[in-house]
Amino acid sequence: MKTDTSIEQSVREPCAREKAAGKMKNAIDFMKKRGIWAILLIIVVVLSLLEPRFLSFGNLINVLQQSAVYGVIAIGMTFLMINGYFDLSVGTVMGLCACLAVGLQDYGLAVAIIGALAVGATIGAINGFLVAKAGINAFVVTLASMFGARGLVFIYTGEQPIVGSVAAFREFGASSIGFMPTLALLFLVLLIIAELYLRYSNHGRNTYAIGGNYEAASNAGISVNRTILINFIMTGTAAALAGIMVASRMNAATPALGWPDTNLMIIASVVLGGTKLTGGYGSMIKTLGGVLAIGIFRNGMNLLNVPSYYNMLFLGIILILVVFADSRFSPAKKS
Amino acid sequence: MKRSKKAWVCLLLAGLMVVLAGCGGNNAENGEAVNGDVGDAEILIGMTANNTGIDSYQTMHDEAFRAEVERTPGVEAIILDATGDTMLQMNQVEDLIQQGVDVLVIWPVSGDAIVPAAQQAYEAGIPVLIANSPIDESGYDFVKGFVGPDNIIQGEYAAEMMIEALGGEGKVVELTGMPGYVTAINRSKGFMDRIAEEPGIEVIASEPADWNREKAQTVMENLITTYGDEIDGVYGADDNISVGALNALREAGMAGDVIITSATMFGDGYDAIQEGLIYGTVYQSPVVDAEFTVQTAIRIAEGEEIEFFNYFETPMVTVDDIDEYERPVW
Repeated sequence: MKTDTSIEQSVREPCAREKAAGKMKNAIDFMKKRGIWAILLIIVVVLSLLEPRFLSFGNLINVLQQSAVYGVIAIGMTFLMINGYFDLSVGTVMGLCACLAVGLQDYGLAVAIIGALAVGATIGAINGFLVAKAGINAFVVTLASMFGARGLVFIYTGEQPIVGSVAAFREFGASSIGFMPTLALLFLVLLIIAELYLRYSNHGRNTYAIGGNYEAASNAGISVNRTILINFIMTGTAAALAGIMVASRMNAATPALGWPDTNLMIIASVVLGGTKLTGGYGSMIKTLGGVLAIGIFRNGMNLLNVPSYYNMLFLGIILILVVFADSRFSPAKKS
Repeated sequence: MKRSKKAWVCLLLAGLMVVLAGCGGNNAENGEAVNGDVGDAEILIGMTANNTGIDSYQTMHDEAFRAEVERTPGVEAIILDATGDTMLQMNQVEDLIQQGVDVLVIWPVSGDAIVPAAQQAYEAGIPVLIANSPIDESGYDFVKGFVGPDNIIQGEYAAEMMIEALGGEGKVVELTGMPGYVTAINRSKGFMDRIAEEPGIEVIASEPADWNREKAQTVMENLITTYGDEIDGVYGADDNISVGALNALREAGMAGDVIITSATMFGDGYDAIQEGLIYGTVYQSPVVDAEFTVQTAIRIAEGEEIEFFNYFETPMVTVDDIDEYERPVW
């Protein structure tokens, strides 16, 4: 209990001091601009006070490694959400592609990986086509493909786990470059590329434009359907890549992978980061914050021996608080 | 406007603090009740369970595990639940490695997918004890051992009760568990090997019933159609299967005439033994299981060399001694 009081003090004290110094406005500006990163900072400080082992270098790398898989899907989801849509099928597509990446290894590792990515991209394309061209609601379309992918994975695996046969595949998932696990590095590199692509490419600008105002973007001559289709394909491919990463970590895949709540955890981490579900606003850096916040939170709760049910409850509360606060401070709301 | 923003910032911070302090408080509460203060203990056990709450066996195992840790001085535990998710379990193993536990108990969600996680623990110098479901053989090098029920013995016990009840003579059908699962294979092996030593008893059919009561009933109906009165005994790999078979025999008016034995007792089987409809079964208690697991983990943490396979007692139960046992809630 001693630690608890010290935490409350450590948070209240700076709050009071800042007030005394008249720096409250700065703090608000910081919160407004940084959003999730400010919250992340608070979570990190509190956890490190409660559990000294939390801040060890090994554990921070560990969190990054664990966040990499969800993080890769979140990159795709960020494109899609800025575009104004979301994809519920990413969890089961991840599971399906994980099983394919292992199961197809009999035909060679290249076939397995390309096959898994192709299936992810195809499901993404089907989603995108039905949403953009056929004009069906994205919730319904991706809900249907979520079940579809789950059906396929059970048909493909016969409900049994599949074990990898290629040593290089297993070694890739466990490997590190320097101190950094390869999968974590892959995630960070992809995130930087995605951020640059989102900011500076035509596709990125179109994505913001369509999410911000569909009619205006369409009238301005942006090829709306093509942009939506590409974003769905990227999300499906990201889910497939995440599946390959999971399978590589475990050198095996089980049909239950990605079920039941992976899709919602990923949407939650993007929203937590500050990207708007309504579209037109967001960034990869925000998503990184959201992914890390959930990864750190889960890791901290495990280190602290908090039962998983509380874990989920607190995650829900934090999500609501953050989104609520965001809706209050959001610059979009003023205009 | 500015004032209200200030209020929101403070509200948000306060809210987060309440939540997070709640986590800590919760932990401290747990700590005093169950685990002491994590860090002060002589032995810290890390446990990641398969899927607590999915059935009453696993729930009771969890409760008994916590109780046993609390009862044992100098021992604390971090007990996590993988909720049936292989990826989550891998993350939990990594977190427990980071927490620096003295011994790691894993009840694998998947015996295959857990191998790299066991390897990580091995490379971090943390001894691993696999509980209840086996790890794939490729992971044997990374773990200290296995603790759980001996399914071969359970099958043998069911065979012995069958031999006893039939007086060493008769025709028997076997209903097995899910094909491909080690538990099902071992329960069948134990039964078949023991029966083979008894020349008077012949196994005339062996069919999978997938641990499923309805399937067991259908399969038994077909066997009754094929063999009819020839059948003297039925062996079910667990009580779900035996009760399914019993239902089929009941419909055919054969209940009570045919000897039924089973390799694991469930609540319904308990009742059927009391009524004399099932001859005997094997009692596998989650409480004994959990207590034995904790004690074995402690022996590992203390540096004791243990056997690779560590089985807990699963006694035979027939109508004669059924009253000595409590009715299973699982």
